Amino acid sequence: METKRVNGEKNYFDPLVLARLSNLYLRARWVVEGIMSGIHRSRSKGFSVEFEEHREYSPGDELRRVDWKALGKFDRYFIKETEDETNLRAYLLMDASGSMDYGSGGITKFDYGCTLTAALAYLILRQQDAAGLVTFSHRVESLIPPKAKRGHLMEIVRALEECRPGGDTHIGGMLEEIAGKMKRRGLVVLVSDLLDEPEEVLKGLRLFRFKGNDVIVFHLLDIAELELPFEGNVLFEDLEEANLKVTADPQSIRKAYQSVIGEFTDRLRKECQQSSIDYQLLSTATPLDQALVSYLNWRG
Amino acid sequence: MSLAFLYPLYLYGLVTALIPTLIHLLNRRRLQKIRFPAVRFILLSQRRISRTYRLRHWFLLALRTLAVLFLVLLLAHPIFQTGVGLSAGSGPTSFVVILDNSLSMKWSQGGEGFGKAKEALRRLVSASRDEDRMALVPTNGGETAGLRLTGPKELVARLDALELSGGTANFSLALNKAYELLKEPAAQKEIWLITDMALTGWDEFALASLSQYAPSIPIKVIKVTSREEPLNATVKEVKIRSQGVAVGLPIDLEAPVVNFTDKKIDNLLVQLYLDREKLDQKLVSLPPQGELSVRFQFRTRKPGPHQGHVTLQAAGLAGNPTVHFSLLAQDKLKLMIVDGDPKTSLVLSETFFLTRALNPSGAEDSSLFLPVVVIPESLNSATLDSYQAVILCNVPAIPDSFVPRLRDYLVRGGGLILFLGDRVQSDDYHRKLLQISPSILPGRLTERKAISVPEGERIARINTSHPILANLADRLLKESLLSTRVRSYFRVDSQNSAVLLTLANGDPFLIEKKIGAGRVLLVTTTADRDWSDLPLKTAYVPLVQSMASYLSRTEAGLFDAGITVGASKGFSLSPAYAGKKLTILKPDGKTKEIDLTPQGEKLTASFQENDLPGIYRVSLPTLPAASTGIPELYAVNPPFLESRLKAIREEELLAKLRPIRADVIPLESLEKGGRKLDLALPLIFLIMATLVTEGWLAQRIHG
Repeated sequence: METKRVNGEKNYFDPLVLARLSNLYLRARWVVEGIMSGIHRSRSKGFSVEFEEHREYSPGDELRRVDWKALGKFDRYFIKETEDETNLRAYLLMDASGSMDYGSGGITKFDYGCTLTAALAYLILRQQDAAGLVTFSHRVESLIPPKAKRGHLMEIVRALEECRPGGDTHIGGMLEEIAGKMKRRGLVVLVSDLLDEPEEVLKGLRLFRFKGNDVIVFHLLDIAELELPFEGNVLFEDLEEANLKVTADPQSIRKAYQSVIGEFTDRLRKECQQSSIDYQLLSTATPLDQALVSYLNWRG
Repeated sequence: MSLAFLYPLYLYGLVTALIPTLIHLLNRRRLQKIRFPAVRFILLSQRRISRTYRLRHWFLLALRTLAVLFLVLLLAHPIFQTGVGLSAGSGPTSFVVILDNSLSMKWSQGGEGFGKAKEALRRLVSASRDEDRMALVPTNGGETAGLRLTGPKELVARLDALELSGGTANFSLALNKAYELLKEPAAQKEIWLITDMALTGWDEFALASLSQYAPSIPIKVIKVTSREEPLNATVKEVKIRSQGVAVGLPIDLEAPVVNFTDKKIDNLLVQLYLDREKLDQKLVSLPPQGELSVRFQFRTRKPGPHQGHVTLQAAGLAGNPTVHFSLLAQDKLKLMIVDGDPKTSLVLSETFFLTRALNPSGAEDSSLFLPVVVIPESLNSATLDSYQAVILCNVPAIPDSFVPRLRDYLVRGGGLILFLGDRVQSDDYHRKLLQISPSILPGRLTERKAISVPEGERIARINTSHPILANLADRLLKESLLSTRVRSYFRVDSQNSAVLLTLANGDPFLIEKKIGAGRVLLVTTTADRDWSDLPLKTAYVPLVQSMASYLSRTEAGLFDAGITVGASKGFSLSPAYAGKKLTILKPDGKTKEIDLTPQGEKLTASFQENDLPGIYRVSLPTLPAASTGIPELYAVNPPFLESRLKAIREEELLAKLRPIRADVIPLESLEKGGRKLDLALPLIFLIMATLVTEGWLAQRIHG
């Protein structure tokens, strides 16, 4: 796929360009720094600082961070590491079901979603907020509680990198399960193709809202899923259900398909709007900066 | 109405109409597999559009198939014909019209079938194009040797002149001629066969009888039939049951009348005419599919040839109503019988048995023979010329004055039968009848011989080749004759005379001698039963009558039921008529002359143009035919079965013509005429409309 150009320059938020970077951390940083370079840094200010751990002093450390009490006890210099207490706890929910392992243009929905999730985590942590990660398919694959420390990003990125898409999707049920595990309210960011019964999905999302969370939904679909661009007679085999097969002439059903998928996304958008859930439909061809911008818009 | 194609070979291309369906099926088999996450949305989409989608697809397939069909049809160039007309092609057409002019056509469609067929044919021909070539071939008669394909004018002229014949249709001959004519190259060729489909003509037809035919040349059979079954009856034949045909004698004529229909025919009038005069009539009722013999008895008033016919009369009767016949009435044979031994009792008289044999009932009108018995003394004043023959029975002596008159009479062609007996003076016979020139007696009477044995002498040899005895060839008569016992007879030295009957001991019993144009027969025994029991034998009557007829100078009576229309009539004459021509006067008043050709010792002639039913009169330019030994009149009748109007079933007819492509069309279709419509332009419009619709629909389906 050709790299998209903006004002004659290469668009470095193009998912395909980003996909060339094998390191997810770099990808996330690339995206976030690219966005934030033009924005004045607005440091998050927590109302308290909590002690987290001690470490030995090393040259260059600020003297004001030396724990003098510890020096009196142990006769050694320790630097007092503290965790800034933040007013935002973000839960990044990444769908890792089999349907996410689809991509028609060189990048799968899962890859796109991982980059987006990592970029969001980077952005959240950069702003001194806490970010956690839940990857799930038909079960919770990994769960990293939200933390605001810098090293936490690497943990999130590693978890994303180790995650492999597969299995059936039961988003509605999984959202209920995850909501049950959340002890504190915060921001819930869902990155998923939502290929489940809309009623179940919305039920899960509404549960987050019921618990006082803010919810942002990044509805991620492949461009082929939105447009059905295939030609000739095609035997479609479902990615998740092996027995689900159908022969169709895409040309003849394209309009109907687009209408059905449009009704599906429209319904989700409307229902989300009614439930004060931010809904953002993304295709895998959408530059990632747009997705982040929508988050920043929410963040104000 | 019919549909024709200018280039029918292109119709094989109709199989290409399967191409869209094949492409459709092939495409369905060539599948691309794609793993896809949103299959349930595809299912939903299909479910939503399924019905419309399938309908549109089938409609699209139908449109594509139609487009191919229309294109192939366009290439074949169809022409639509309303009514029935000539071949609808655009190129010059050669066609031969075979018109059934057999007699059965006379009664088709209530008697108007033939006229209607001609009229319809005229209209058909008038609608032909200048470049079309055509010919008219009748099924019966008509000169076709020089026939060529011509323009419409010539055909119409030939059609006007064509008349019904009296015979059965010969379809083989006509079709052979038609195929011969159609050998000439032409864009299109057709044969039109206008017929009443009468079973009789088609029964005789078989495709194998054609010397040539072309299955590719279609035959259009125009059916000329009545909607309702008419009264269909005819006279099968006429025949007589009497022995002879002579003036004054009753003639018993039998005419079987046949009903061909499945319903009874009441009050059918059957009339007998002789020499155009109605003699008798009878009213009969014919059972369904039945036959009834109608019998008449009549007499002729004068000798010579007569013509007659039996005719049927009933309203709406179809079928040949008239059967002609001819007869030659023989004049009565007046015979002078001289009784040489008259007795007061008739039974004992010498001539009793003889006169009874010649006229068994004794009534004047009951026998061909009119015997007049006289005594020998009457011979002096007798006028011999008023008698066909003289019979002397046991006459002792011949009067002197009678001998020269008898000799002249015989030389001129008279006949004499001599029965001998105990009163015969052989010397007198020798002197007066043998020793004159020319001698009358067939041989010398050498001695009177009496057989000593009680059973007498038998007749042992019969010359059955002689006309007198040919009639006695019947086994019963022959046995009867051979059982005759002769107790006394005269031995005769027959010299050069012919012996017709011989006794077992070799002595002649019946001898013939020719004198000038006359003949003498000598029976060596008596005419009564004094010397033999011959008068008591069954063979006696035919023998005596045969001898008398043989000697008479008049021709034998003759009844002739005639020949069938189309058959030839043969004649045989004496060589004396060499170089002359026989003239035949046909029933329509036209005369024909035919040459006499030598064949052996005779002159023969054969007349072929017996194409009309009726009476034909034969003559030589200067002589009546009767004097030449040939019949002056003869009858020609239609074939009996030609009156059977039952038509062959269409399926049978088509089967008979197979593999020739044939259609059966009612005459009414032809009468309505036809109009041609070139379907090429409408087809082009249809193709365009189909393609536009197909394009629009494909766009709708495939986006």
